[in-house]
Amino acid sequence: MDNAFLDELERVVGNDGIVRDAAELLTYESDALTRLRGKPAVAVLPDSRAQVQQVIRLCHKSGVPFVARGHGTGLSGGALPVSDGVLIVLTRLNRIIDVDIPNQRITVEPGVKNLEVTRQVAPFGYYYAPDPSSQVICSIGGNVAENSGGAHCLKYGFTVHHVLGLEVILPDGELVHLGGPAVDPPGLDLIGVLVGSEGTLAVVTQVTLRLLRQPQAVRTLLAAFDSTETAGNAVSDVIGSGVIPAAIEMMDRLTIEAAEAAVHPKFPNANAVLIVEIDGPISEVTEVFDLVQTICQRNGASVIQVAQDESERQRIWMGRKAAFAAMGRVSPNYYVQDGVIPRTKLPEVLRRIRTLEIESGLKIGNVFHAGDGNLHPLVCYDQSVEGQGELAEKVANEILTYCLDVGGSITGEHGIGADKVHQLPKMFSEDDLDTMQLVRCAFDPTNLCNPGKVFPTPRLCGEVPGPYRRHPVEEAGLAERF
Amino acid sequence: MAIEFSIETLATAAELQAGPGTVRPAVSFDAIDGVVPRLIVEPSDTERLASTLAWAARENLRVVVRGGGTKLEWGPSPTAVDLILSTVRLNALVDHRHGDLTATVQAGAKLGEVNRQLKQHGQWLPLDPPWPDRSTIGGVVATNESGPRRHRYGTPRDLIIGMHLARVDGRLVKAGGIVVKNVAGYDLARLFTGSFGSLGVIVAATFKLVPLAPASRTVVVELPTPSSVGALVADLLGKQLGPTAVELQLPQPRLLIRFESVESAAEQQAANAAKLAEGYGWKVRVLDGDDESALWMDYSRRPFETEGTVIKLSILPGEVSGTLAWLEKTTITHQLTYELSGRVGVGVMYLKLDGEDEAQERFLKELRCRLPVGQGSATIVRAASNLKSRVDVWGPVGDGLNIMRAVKNRFDPTGILNPGRGPGGL
Repeated sequence: MDNAFLDELERVVGNDGIVRDAAELLTYESDALTRLRGKPAVAVLPDSRAQVQQVIRLCHKSGVPFVARGHGTGLSGGALPVSDGVLIVLTRLNRIIDVDIPNQRITVEPGVKNLEVTRQVAPFGYYYAPDPSSQVICSIGGNVAENSGGAHCLKYGFTVHHVLGLEVILPDGELVHLGGPAVDPPGLDLIGVLVGSEGTLAVVTQVTLRLLRQPQAVRTLLAAFDSTETAGNAVSDVIGSGVIPAAIEMMDRLTIEAAEAAVHPKFPNANAVLIVEIDGPISEVTEVFDLVQTICQRNGASVIQVAQDESERQRIWMGRKAAFAAMGRVSPNYYVQDGVIPRTKLPEVLRRIRTLEIESGLKIGNVFHAGDGNLHPLVCYDQSVEGQGELAEKVANEILTYCLDVGGSITGEHGIGADKVHQLPKMFSEDDLDTMQLVRCAFDPTNLCNPGKVFPTPRLCGEVPGPYRRHPVEEAGLAERF
Repeated sequence: MAIEFSIETLATAAELQAGPGTVRPAVSFDAIDGVVPRLIVEPSDTERLASTLAWAARENLRVVVRGGGTKLEWGPSPTAVDLILSTVRLNALVDHRHGDLTATVQAGAKLGEVNRQLKQHGQWLPLDPPWPDRSTIGGVVATNESGPRRHRYGTPRDLIIGMHLARVDGRLVKAGGIVVKNVAGYDLARLFTGSFGSLGVIVAATFKLVPLAPASRTVVVELPTPSSVGALVADLLGKQLGPTAVELQLPQPRLLIRFESVESAAEQQAANAAKLAEGYGWKVRVLDGDDESALWMDYSRRPFETEGTVIKLSILPGEVSGTLAWLEKTTITHQLTYELSGRVGVGVMYLKLDGEDEAQERFLKELRCRLPVGQGSATIVRAASNLKSRVDVWGPVGDGLNIMRAVKNRFDPTGILNPGRGPGGL
């Protein structure tokens, strides 16, 4: 990257807003998927929308690729830097722009942390529903990019259900406003496709979110079962009874042990536990919660712990939300997957995973959002043992094929990122992917915005409408046209 | 170009694509705002629909996609239509995975019929627009339409998890899947939801479903004047009740607040809401059973069942009081009469106007001045073509229009789908 370009960037963001030093750039080598690393040519930390816009304009003018990054908690390498590219770190865009309680809205910058949104509005009796496990640190901008979910999305939906307005900078530097605090704006629902586009269509500079009134009552229980199958049956019965709980989570023995070792949530000694949370008006919660307890008993729950107060509830959730990080206590390395299956296929898929565990000799922990069928198998391995890393990757990918076999998805909330680009064609045909690329080409015809993510092969967009002309890159056989 | 062919030639060519007996010349009944299309094509299966569409694109024919035809007049009047591409024969409930609370339905299936089938397993697709027995799944999705229960369940956009599409080049593609949680690839299903047939043809959709509630109560609040509606609504929304619908009706002010849950909870919440309203000194009734069903049946088609201009109004829920006062005043100024009904808790209501065209035009202009882009909108969903030709039917789109146009151009490069009828002339 030439110095003149770097100097221009520095003029935009100031000398405290740019990282050019190779050693300092190591901080930005990866997101939370540390297996994948790349070094950007430069990182910038703009502190205003105008700076973001100028940075992107410069990149566009010079044909330099760029990647937006929030707090770096992504689990699919979505914020993996592009070598020779610019990494746009949005952590300084962390202002709360507007809190509008009468309309149940909040407008924030992308660097604001997820939990901070709820902190802002909790005194008024409101909260922001999507709650990824990393919510103390992950950013709203990252949540928008990944369409983040969380334990409570079973009842309340994902980020896309809560984003009402976006201010974005398009890859050519144009500032665009989509939606806003009022619903149903005329025009195409570009918010619907931008949310979850993993930073490949635009860079978000402001987000208007929907807030929810805190429920009148919340009740949480932990039920222990002798197997994941019986726990899974209880889940099916709960859902089948016409109840939509706020959350139903399952953990197996390995993840229970890991959580116990790390944060001591005092979970019972069991092969599987379910965490079920019911919220809503008191009268509804009381009746439904009794029903859920009965269902758990009927399915052979050996222990049912009911949280008696908020601190007990927090203890239960701490055990669940710490599960990923806690795996470090039982295994030197682990590989997380994020497959989704139709909930009724749970017993079948868990059986196949257990067979795989025996065959591969690698331990596989399971912690998952059981209510919506989102599995997080944790394949344990030891990097220092030769070949085990590769074996773990193979095993993890095998689990994804099980998910696809039963009509599921390769990712429920972590995204494709750089990690699963080669898995995506197993789920979608070439034509399906081409159709997605139509959107990509409309937003980013020169492929500068987070290139190499989501899609396995870069495509040339061409001009529309107009006669077909071969692009020089195409002639050289480096890319294909669709 | 289309005009070079006679209807007979066109029909013969269309039938080659769509299948024998699937093509007929249009009649006045098929007209959209008085514009009679040339042909009606009802392909007998998905593949034939896709190849018909590709053929139409090759021949540069202007295509309007039709399901039940209940919302064809939304948008500006067309200048000319060559082909109505109907999904009416694609009407199967493909799969109801009741254990997973999901269903896949073809575009031409009627919403009411689909819900009757889902009911066998105690579930439903929680959308309640007017005319469920005439509206198709494809039409409801393409317009992102909903009804009173939007307050709790949202719109098709919130329920859709997958889609099958026909592209103008004839490719049949899918987006999303059959699982409720899925972030693999771009969310084209949401992009197509509410795209008014401008990007391609929706041939099937997969939704998450909800269990039917065992019990329901509706609190009917009758108010002497609209002046304190806003305060009551704000008060109600601030409480920790969980209504499934909060509807406002004017000019005789009436609020309908519905609770659906287990018996005791529906009862209890209705009683709480009733008490709240009584605190304002208003007349309150709580309905259940047949009385309640009859009330909602009667309400559901408002304000479409009588003649007049209908405007879809979106405002911030906190702006209800100000908007109602302004409406009252401004309709008098312009000598217009009005009716209003809709989702006051969400801020989306339908406003029916009667009066001189010029007066309606001035009224709409003033209304839009109150609603900067993003803060609200006023879109004409039904009006005489005379009025439509004088005003911007959709209203301003804002600075997102260029990128919307870029997306439209990628999906429909020659602009055959609903030409000129979308927001901003898309």
